[in-house]
This record gives sequence, C-alpha cells and structure tokens, in this order.
Amino acid sequence: MLRFILRRLFSGIVLLFVITTIAYVLLYLGGGDIARRILGTSATQANVQAKAASLGLDRPLIVQYIDWLGNALHGDFGASWFTGQPVADAISSRTAVTLSIVIGATVLSAIVAVVLGVWAAVRRGGVDRSVQVLSVLGFAIPGFLIALALVIIFAINLHWFKPTGYIPFTDSPSGWLSTVTLPIIALAIGSIAGVTQQIRGSVIDALRQDYVRTLRSRGLSSSRVIYKHVLRNAGGPALAVLAVQFVGLLGGAVIVEQIFAIPGLGQVSVTATTQGDIPLVMGLVVVTAIIVVVVNLLIDLLQGWLNPKVRLS
Amino acid sequence: MFRWKTLAALAAVVALGLTGCSSNGSSSGSSQTLTLGLLVPATTFSAQDSNWANESPYMQAVYDTLLKADPKGDIKPGLATKWAYNADNTVLTLTLRDGVKFSDGTAFTADVAAQNLTRFRDGNSPNKTNLVDLASAKAVDPTTVQLTLKQSNPALLTYLTQNAGLQESPKAFTSSTIKTDPVGSGPYTLDTGKTVVGTSYVFDKNPKYWDPSSVYYDKIVMNVYADPTSLLNAIKGGQVNASNTPNNNDLDQIKASGFTVWPLELNWNGLILLDRAGTMNPALKDVRVRQAINYAFDTKALLKAVGQGYGTPTTQVFPKSSVGYDSSLDSYYAYNPSKAKSLLAAAGYAKGLTLSMPSSNLLGSTVWTLIGQQLKDVGITVNFTDAGNNFITDMLAPKYPATYMILQQDPDWALINFQISKDATFNPFHYSDPKVDSLIATVHNGSKSESDAAVKALNKYVVEQAWFAPWYRMQSSFVSDAKTKVTVQTGNAYPYLWNIVPTS
Repeated sequence: MLRFILRRLFSGIVLLFVITTIAYVLLYLGGGDIARRILGTSATQANVQAKAASLGLDRPLIVQYIDWLGNALHGDFGASWFTGQPVADAISSRTAVTLSIVIGATVLSAIVAVVLGVWAAVRRGGVDRSVQVLSVLGFAIPGFLIALALVIIFAINLHWFKPTGYIPFTDSPSGWLSTVTLPIIALAIGSIAGVTQQIRGSVIDALRQDYVRTLRSRGLSSSRVIYKHVLRNAGGPALAVLAVQFVGLLGGAVIVEQIFAIPGLGQVSVTATTQGDIPLVMGLVVVTAIIVVVVNLLIDLLQGWLNPKVRLS
Repeated sequence: MFRWKTLAALAAVVALGLTGCSSNGSSSGSSQTLTLGLLVPATTFSAQDSNWANESPYMQAVYDTLLKADPKGDIKPGLATKWAYNADNTVLTLTLRDGVKFSDGTAFTADVAAQNLTRFRDGNSPNKTNLVDLASAKAVDPTTVQLTLKQSNPALLTYLTQNAGLQESPKAFTSSTIKTDPVGSGPYTLDTGKTVVGTSYVFDKNPKYWDPSSVYYDKIVMNVYADPTSLLNAIKGGQVNASNTPNNNDLDQIKASGFTVWPLELNWNGLILLDRAGTMNPALKDVRVRQAINYAFDTKALLKAVGQGYGTPTTQVFPKSSVGYDSSLDSYYAYNPSKAKSLLAAAGYAKGLTLSMPSSNLLGSTVWTLIGQQLKDVGITVNFTDAGNNFITDMLAPKYPATYMILQQDPDWALINFQISKDATFNPFHYSDPKVDSLIATVHNGSKSESDAAVKALNKYVVEQAWFAPWYRMQSSFVSDAKTKVTVQTGNAYPYLWNIVPTS
C-alpha cells in the first residue's frame, strides 16, 4: 500500500510540473500588455514600460518561468500584481471557502443520489422513469441558470437566504448557512444527476447477482441486503464518479462564486486569469492541481477499503 | 458505515467553514454601517503607487490629502489649510494643519508631507506624471512645506486633492505590508482581519480623526462586484447602500428596487483621428477627410445603439465643467453623409479610401460593426485588426492611424496634456500645430482670463480641425438606496467618500 501511495504521489508531482509549465506558457502567450492593464489608460507609455521592467516582464519567457519555479519550490509564490497581496495569503483565505462549498455539494449530491438511485433501482417502473427524467433535466439545465433562479426565488423574493456574499461560520453560524445553502444546491444539482445514474445502474447490476439471491433466501430483510451488501459493491464505481464530479464541482464553483459574489478560489480565478495576474493564477493552478491529486489518491484508498479486490490488484 | 462517513464529511464542511476568515455581504440595515459596491479592488494601499478614480474610496477611507475638492472641483482645505503661489507660479507654499496624527501615532509634519510628495513623484502610480513638474519639496518649518516646480502647472492644486496629495505615515514607507495594510491619518482604518483582499474591505471609524464632523458611519464595508449580475442581485437583495454600475443596462431594475440614480458624464465615446500629419495614412492629413469622418457618424443613433440612450451627443472632447465648453460644439458636425461624401470628393477621395483600425472586445462587441457600416456608407472602408488585450498598447505604439476609444474628460490642463498636447499620451504621433501650441502656452502661462479664453479657442479649433470624431458623452451612474444620499464628484468615477451620507 505504501508503494502504491508513493507511486501516486510521484506521478502527482510530475503532473504538477507539466500543468504549471503549460499554464505559464499559456498565460504568457495570452497575457497581452499586463503592465498597461495594471496602470490603466491614464498612464504614460514610459510608466508602463517601467512597470513591466519592475515586474520582470522584459525578460525571456524561460527565464521568467525558471525564476517562478525556483521561488515556488522554496514556498514563495510572490504577490498578486493587481492587489499586492502575497499569493499564499490570497489563496489560503479562499481555499477553505471554496472547499466548504464543494465538499458540501459533494456530500449533498452523494446523499440525494444514493436515495434516488436506490429508489429507482429497487422500485423501477414509474419511479425509475421519473428519476431518469429528473436526472436528464439536472444534466441539461446549466448550473448558472439554476443559480440565478435560486437567487431570484429564495433570496430576492422570499428573503430566505443572502443573494450574495459569504459570512464565516465563526461570525454567525446561521449567517454562514444563509450564504452557502444556495451555492451548494446550485452546484450539487448537476452532480446529483450523474451520481444517481451511476448508483442506479450499479444497484440494478448488483441486484441480479447470485449472492443477493442467496442473502435473500437466508431471510435477510430487503433494506439490510441493499444498504449493507448491495451498496457496498455498488459503492466503488459510484465513488469513482463522485471523485470526477468533485473535480468538476471545483470548475463549477467558478461560475457559482461569480454569481453569488463568494470570495473563493473560483471568483479569484476568473478575475486573476482575465487580468493576466500570473503569480496569482500560478498559485491557483498549483493549489487546484494538488487538491485534484489528493482527492484522487483518497478515492483510490477509499475504494481499496471498500473492496479488498482493489487492494490485491 | 455510511452514517459515520456522512457525519465525518459534514464535520469537515463545518470545520472548513470555521476556518474561513472572510467577510462579505455584511448587513446594510444599520445606520452605523455603510456598505458600498465597487467594480474594482484596491490595486494597492501604498500611497506612493496608488490609483485614483474607481479606487478613490479605498484611499479616502484611510488617507487624508493635502487639499480637498468639493463636488464641483473647487479647491478646499485638507491637511493644508492655506496655500499660495509666488509671482510666476513656480513655488507653492502650503500651511499645514497642526496636531494631526497618523493611526500609528506618528505626527504629521511638513517634513512628512515633503517626503510623501517626492515619493509619489518617484513611485509607480499611473498618475505619477501629475507631479512631473515637481523639482523639490522641503519643510520650511514644522507646519509649512514648499514645493518648487520646474515650470508652472495649472492643475497642481487639483492633483493635490487626489492621489498625488495622499499622506502616509513615514513608518509605513519601509513596511513589508505597505500594499495591503495602510497607515494614514484618514477617517477610517482598514480592518485587515475582516478584509478579503480583492473582494471585501472593512473599515472601522478612526476615533481620533481630526475632523469627526465629516465622518458619518462607524463602519464602511466596500464589496467588489466583478460580475454585473451579482451586483444587481446585491442591490435587489438590499446588500449594498450605494454602488457604481458597470453599464446602464440594469438601471430600470435598479430603480424598481427603490434606488436613486445619480448620473454623471465622465467620458466621451468616439474616434481619435491619430494620424493628423498623414504619416501612416496620407488621407488623414487633409482636414476635409477628418471632417468627413465626423459627418459620417449618426451620433444620436449611436448613442441609442451603443450607449442605450444614456448620455449626450457631442462633437467636442472638453466636458461641460470646462471653461472651454461650448454647447454649439455638441452638434458642430450634424449627421450628414452627403456632405461627408462631397468633402471626401473635394479632397480627392471620390472613389473612397481605406482606413486601418484596431478592435477589441474590451470596448464592446457590436460597436465595430457599426463603425464599419457608417464609414462604408460614405465610401471609407475600414480594415479592423483584433488587438485583443494589446488594444491600448498598439494604439499608443502607434500602429494605427485612427481608432475608436472611450476617453476620460479631465479638468482642462489635465485633458490638454492627456489628449491634445504634442507629448500627450493619446497623441502618440506627437502631432503638433502652431496654433494649438500657442493656445496651450497661453493656457499654461497666461492670466486667469487669458487662460480661460485660450481653452475656449483651443476647444473650438480642435473641433474645427477634426482631431477627433466624438459621438457622445456617456452617462456613468451611481446608485443609492433610500437611506443614503449622494453628491457625485465632477470628473471622478466615484463620489468622494464624505459626500455619501445618511438621509437622516
């Protein structure tokens, strides 16, 4: 198991290097005149050139990248070109916000998907068809439309929740709930659709297996057979889908955080990328890549724990 | 099995929520708290490198300026209570307020003021050239600072009401957190613990502020809304008391939410005919061609189509607040395609001509088609090159003989040096005309009446010579709820902080 973990960590580091290199080159190519964007239209060309030089933008790409990489390996990600805030500070305060929403959405989608997926697989017929239709709708309706509808109905018209912003749990637990509930629901709906389909399929397959018949013949209750045995077997593929959904939710957070004006990684990603704030974008790329690598590793470990055959293989 | 895993996941969510140390969307219901919406974050809190315009509220919360400007732009006392020039306007002596302290306890003195002035001149602010004429600044005594200029500068007093006049504690000059942790003598201090840089800034009232009568709130929260939809939702949800708006698209919905719109015309939209000497496109050397371009645009229709009708058609670049403003110049080139064609024919371009221009989504997506169509109608073919994010850089390189642009309407001397003079940023071909140079010299060195007359003559001459092809002055809108009263600031994108007050 240790070798497995080390191997995955090594491939994660290689992946990180490849991703950061590609990201840096793409940012450099698409950056345009960053110094002008920082200083604005009123700055003279001489001011702009001086600013570019002070940021080191007059050096060749390879020199800039090696410089960034060297500093990053020493834990120094620099400061945002547009706000002057150290990148580490900018990201650390926002990572928790985004993860709380993404993990919340993942948990919500897992719970709802298990209920709906098992219900559809066991009951079949009209229930199954209804769940299928709902899943297709969940897939088809864009997340931002759902987010906007939720804001208009539940925040602006009914005043149940805050339309924008984020209140930390430490400031007010109820305030925190009022700011994260709608983003979590908006983010989870698409994910619920995907995981429900996966669980439904896996449970239907498992229900056809001989061991289910054997368990039933021994007089075990239907719910015990399903929740104790069938779901454990169906859980592996569902977890894999959930892991993919989690990574997808990180991407989805970009739009949801924009709409709800939540100070998370998604919101800052949009701003920083649009502006060409290379130090900040690179810090975000590194953190996101690490999150993805760690989540995949955890899912692999969890699958091994759920299914001993995975460990053996 | 699943129960404890779910519980663990929920615990993780709660734990992550606990560690989130940000604040946003704070209540706007209390009369003690003012929540403002802004479109941009503070680029830096370092006074030396500071921005103004949309970032002015951040600076005004924590810093004082040497002078202040009232809503019309007239100069009023700030940290300097008196000011006087010598005979040739090259030495400015400021008498400073005594007893003012920065939030770290350091005393504000003439020596500190002198240091701040030279630091701004030598810093990295986009407006650093506002102090380009400052040769030296020295303390005459603890409450008197003397500025010696390389040449007189008619806009200097105005500049000292803006970022050039910001006063920062000298102890902060060497601070490693200078960009995010300001130390000023202003009415508020930044609560760095509750601030999420780039998203939400929280300011607490400075209990030791020297002018408590100008402080109306115990706390000010400034939230950044990068997305127009989230700003609209925040307004509809009552989460901001006042805000500026990115465009005029949502004004009807904002008004329906009980907000008042405070309009202001800050910029002009239209074309800059950069290559007036014809070095890149010989046709533009002929004033008749430049005039034909002016006649080719249906400015009223463009205001409707591009500006949603919010603004005033004009063919002059000087604003209404200028001493050179002439209302007849708002319609000097009334839309007349046949006159445009005859002018082109008279100039030898009866069969038309081709003009290259940059385009970019930075300034909208539909406007380029309209420019192409209107000029095509009079026989001018436009070849657009998408300059993307390099739009301004390419324009100033200069790589194009003409361009569409949205430009600010500064006070006269600043406008002249920004758009008209030989070395102006937006005169990248450095085109000069003896009459223009002579009028600018009078604006610079003449008496008040001579200077005012010269600005008027300059405005008229530039319009007649068709240096530009302006369409309209676009309306910028600031909005506030029923609890908040606002007086907009002439020439600034954001009202000055002390002009945003409770209604009762």
